[in-house]
Amino acid sequence: MFLRLLKPGYRAWVMIWIISIFVLWEGLAWTLHLFMSPQQATSRLPYLHVVMESFFRHWNTLAEQGSVTFGNAAIGFAGGTLLGALLALLMSAAVWIERTLSPYVVSSQMVPVIGLAPIVYGIIHNAEWARIVMAAYVTFFPVIIHTLKGLKSASPQHLELMRAYGTSWRARYVKCLLPSALPGLFSGMKIAAPLAVTSSIVVELMGAPDGLGVLMVSSLYYGSAQAGMFWATIMLSMGIGLISYLFISLVERWLTPWQPEFRPKGGEQP
Amino acid sequence: MSKSSVLQRKRDEGTTSGATEHALPDNRGRRQQAEHSSSSTDRFRTGTQRIGMKLGSLLPWLAGVIFLTLWQLRFFHVLLSLEDYQLPVPSAIAASIRENAEMLFRYAIYSSTEMLGGFLIGSLLGALAAMGASLFANSGRAVVTVLSALNAVPIVALAPIMNNWFGDGIWSRIAVVSVITMAAMAVSLFKGLTSIQPQYEELLSSMAASRKQFFWKLRMPHALPSLFAGLKINMSTSIIGAIVGEFFIASQGLGYLLSDQIRLANMPLAWSCIVIASILGIVLYETVVLAEKRLLHWSRVHSEAK
Repeated sequence: MFLRLLKPGYRAWVMIWIISIFVLWEGLAWTLHLFMSPQQATSRLPYLHVVMESFFRHWNTLAEQGSVTFGNAAIGFAGGTLLGALLALLMSAAVWIERTLSPYVVSSQMVPVIGLAPIVYGIIHNAEWARIVMAAYVTFFPVIIHTLKGLKSASPQHLELMRAYGTSWRARYVKCLLPSALPGLFSGMKIAAPLAVTSSIVVELMGAPDGLGVLMVSSLYYGSAQAGMFWATIMLSMGIGLISYLFISLVERWLTPWQPEFRPKGGEQP
Repeated sequence: MSKSSVLQRKRDEGTTSGATEHALPDNRGRRQQAEHSSSSTDRFRTGTQRIGMKLGSLLPWLAGVIFLTLWQLRFFHVLLSLEDYQLPVPSAIAASIRENAEMLFRYAIYSSTEMLGGFLIGSLLGALAAMGASLFANSGRAVVTVLSALNAVPIVALAPIMNNWFGDGIWSRIAVVSVITMAAMAVSLFKGLTSIQPQYEELLSSMAASRKQFFWKLRMPHALPSLFAGLKINMSTSIIGAIVGEFFIASQGLGYLLSDQIRLANMPLAWSCIVIASILGIVLYETVVLAEKRLLHWSRVHSEAK
């Protein structure tokens, strides 16, 4: 009734749904505590406020380990993005390179690349480098695929016009090809960012000395006593994934404001 | 509004057809590529170019063979100063696959059950969520936004939670896969259901179409390419989900064998798990692509005419 009166907009609805998820969580945890012993219920789903409390209590440890994981993932992510974008440019410039590599790049989409994380750790045996290499590796393929798609989406009419005007290849890239590749690059990065975090956590699960994954596993061993801590590590890893995603979306909005989804829709305030 | 939705639709179609084109270079893909190269180099298709194209389709095979040969001849070992126990040569991996064929086959069946089960449940739930959300303007879009946050969640975070909830049996991995596939499907299908050209909407409303007709005659057919785009994304994520889920707590499956053999430093068998999982992934993905080709031939005709 009051919803109809207020007519909440899109943002208000997002808030409403998020709050209702939190309420649902507390409610579910409460129901579990009714029917099960406290230990069982806590290991299944601890109260949200308990998780939050241990999140702030262990904030120092969490921040320290999280920054190790996130830092390495970010370095690898940046390296993978750079390499992927460069290779996509090469592939668009020389048809034979694209011909040779594209079947492999495409099939890399269907292959569980993260499965290589334990093997890479086995080869390198240095947690830091293994995390960086894995993050770069999983970033590499989505970035290539989507950047190449973006480069190919450049309108042929525009390119023909530029050729008719006798523009240099540099102008062709700066004015036409690169701007059309940017949206693709960003969608590749948005796909890759959570994967990079996942892959560095997977490396940690395989026996790295530090990082969020180690914290996750060690708190898992203690069962319900450390359930709050365990859920806090999970919340943090979700948070890292989400924040990196949102950060890339923001940069995308800033660098490529011409994309259709960013334009103000009819009647909507920008 | 009209301009933006048209552009968005174009982009959608690009993403849906892009993967198939590369995966199966059939006549259409080849013709498109030929057009592309002819417009970027010159406008004449001469005989030499056609021969060059035949050579071009051989290039990937050639590169693969060269790569495997260099690997077999321990070129990478010298380059990166690796030992055989760190990076086994292809022949050792092949031998290990042959030795453990029976076990690998059993585990592949087990893992693919997890993948397909989670894939089907997750895609169905995501599709239902998208359909429900498409009926409401603002609240629906907000639901999909909140759901899309699941896309950013690292899979490793889900695996232990699902182990707590569903035990260490097969259902915990199915649950992991369902959760991650649900989000992608909801986002993709919702985009397809809502990015409709206003002209069509106006036509239908001028014919006094009911809400039901709107949904089944306009939104659903228009969203089918996005449905398949979602299915294709989900097929590849479901493999990652199943394997990573098995890293945690499992007693069977390719991911379990992989992490177990690495602890035992039995690298050839660990690599054979990767090889088998990759083959599994490619076969399952191609199945979805084939299904799309069979069911959506009209969409391909449509995009070819454009």
